[in-house]
Amino acid sequence: MASRPDDSVELLMTGPGCRSVREQSASEASEDAMLVDAARDGDRAAFGRLYDQYARMVHGVLLAKVPLAEVDDLVQDVFVLALSRLAALRETGRFGAWLAAIARNRANDYHRRSLPEDQLVDDTSEKDIGNCGDQESQAAAILDAIRNLPAAYRETLILRLVEGMTGPEIAARTGMTHGSVRVNLHRGMQQLRARLSSIPNSNGPQQETK
Amino acid sequence: MDTGNNQTGSEPLARNDEYLWDGSGDPDSEIRKLERLLGRFRHHGPVPVFPKIVPDRRWQFLRWRMRRFPALATAAAVAAIAAVTFLAYERKPAVTVVGWDVSRLAGTPRIGRNTISGKETSRLRIGQILETDQQSRASLRAKDTGHIEVEQSTRLRLMTMGAGLNRIALDRGTIHVHIWAPPGQFVVDTPSAVTVDLGCAYTLQVDDSGAGIVRTSLGWVGFKLNHHESFIPAGAACATRPKVGPGTPYFEDASATFRAALARFDFEDSTPQQRTDDLAILLAASRQRDALTLWHLLTRAEEGQRVLVYERLRGLAPPPAGVTKDGILRLDQPTLDLWWNELGFDDISVWRHWERSWSGPGKPVLAK
Repeated sequence: MASRPDDSVELLMTGPGCRSVREQSASEASEDAMLVDAARDGDRAAFGRLYDQYARMVHGVLLAKVPLAEVDDLVQDVFVLALSRLAALRETGRFGAWLAAIARNRANDYHRRSLPEDQLVDDTSEKDIGNCGDQESQAAAILDAIRNLPAAYRETLILRLVEGMTGPEIAARTGMTHGSVRVNLHRGMQQLRARLSSIPNSNGPQQETK
Repeated sequence: MDTGNNQTGSEPLARNDEYLWDGSGDPDSEIRKLERLLGRFRHHGPVPVFPKIVPDRRWQFLRWRMRRFPALATAAAVAAIAAVTFLAYERKPAVTVVGWDVSRLAGTPRIGRNTISGKETSRLRIGQILETDQQSRASLRAKDTGHIEVEQSTRLRLMTMGAGLNRIALDRGTIHVHIWAPPGQFVVDTPSAVTVDLGCAYTLQVDDSGAGIVRTSLGWVGFKLNHHESFIPAGAACATRPKVGPGTPYFEDASATFRAALARFDFEDSTPQQRTDDLAILLAASRQRDALTLWHLLTRAEEGQRVLVYERLRGLAPPPAGVTKDGILRLDQPTLDLWWNELGFDDISVWRHWERSWSGPGKPVLAK
């Protein structure tokens, strides 16, 4: 059952325009590597640029697993942790995948130190979707529905719908392949639609008036 | 392999996949509404002030000096050779200052011949053995890696510790592990399999025969021997046996009938008919949650039995678009991975991304 990650990249990137996608990914990886090297040399502004580029990704990864109120603090924790371990990063061009792994681990660690997972419910998500009179509670209910999707889908959908990242951006920032992101978005969206439509009076997502 | 570009088969075309993918094409009104509603949770905020970064310039300086002064480089090389020769003849044990901090929890655990008592903290260094008897327990901690509690009657060795890989060998006993290092960087060798952390907490037991079991309480664990691999999510367990390797993972709340049949299927030297009978019991007793076990059985069942597993798994967890019967029966890896992701445990691309060869006998290796 062993296949090399690079093989799957070759298998998955067969669609039209994949050459430009590869070139773009390589250029982004190269820019990341330069910023990581500069940060290792003490350049805080370079690390600030990495923060600018990756904060949304880290925020989305955490939001998929921990309560909303905790996410901002944990985003900072993840970057401080990454800064302290920057010297241990072997492949500087894979900063995004490395950072995403730290974020996922930090989210798991949050649950270990806190209440059991089934007790961790956002105040906002406790509201009954059937009583959603305002947009805020409707949004919270939809977020809750996404968080109850299979793990493979919830992170990708949050990055797309909450953080506003495109599929190619999600792939570039998390280190996942374009094919994986595309499938996760497609299947995740299908399941989200099914869940939202099965909840009585959910009122969403209805067609927006154009 | 479904790249996501071609939605075929029983799955209808998405209303507007291009808009979902990269915002191009005709806007999908549902997705736009979701974006608008959920955008309120988006990350906002300025770049925080990070602590001052202190670069490690020692080696850069040394390289500059070596280029500037070739004689110095030659002298350094001679000195290095002399030092290595001296150390080799002296046969001193190869140890470094790195290691895990060890605290006593009960009794008198030992590192080599030295006992740990009171509240003092000792250090388990590379190549050293930590051993507890029937009364003693210990706690190990490494700041950037994780925490391990060592139960009674346990013996473990620290094999490797350095950037990117920490490796422990558990000869016998029980350890409770919680790891915060990135996935794939903490590995435990047992006599019959290698346990690879994927961001998790778990308990690992090994008995005197070398047989073991891993129970995951958070995240997930990879159990691997050569090309034989098992993924164990929270709530599940997986046994391993010498000369066989990892068995098939299962949820611990599965029925006794199911677990007994699985143990026979994995580890007993059964006749083909007995294996067929055990597989039939497994398939009949499986619940939706046992899709975890059935997915693994796809690669463990003989070719003729695989179609039975496929049909049962299809009934419990319908395969997503791109997963074909032919692909599964051929054990096409991307197809198997696609179905795994549909089961809702965790994204297997995390494992594939960090996957490397952890197999093979571990020998103590000094940190770089």
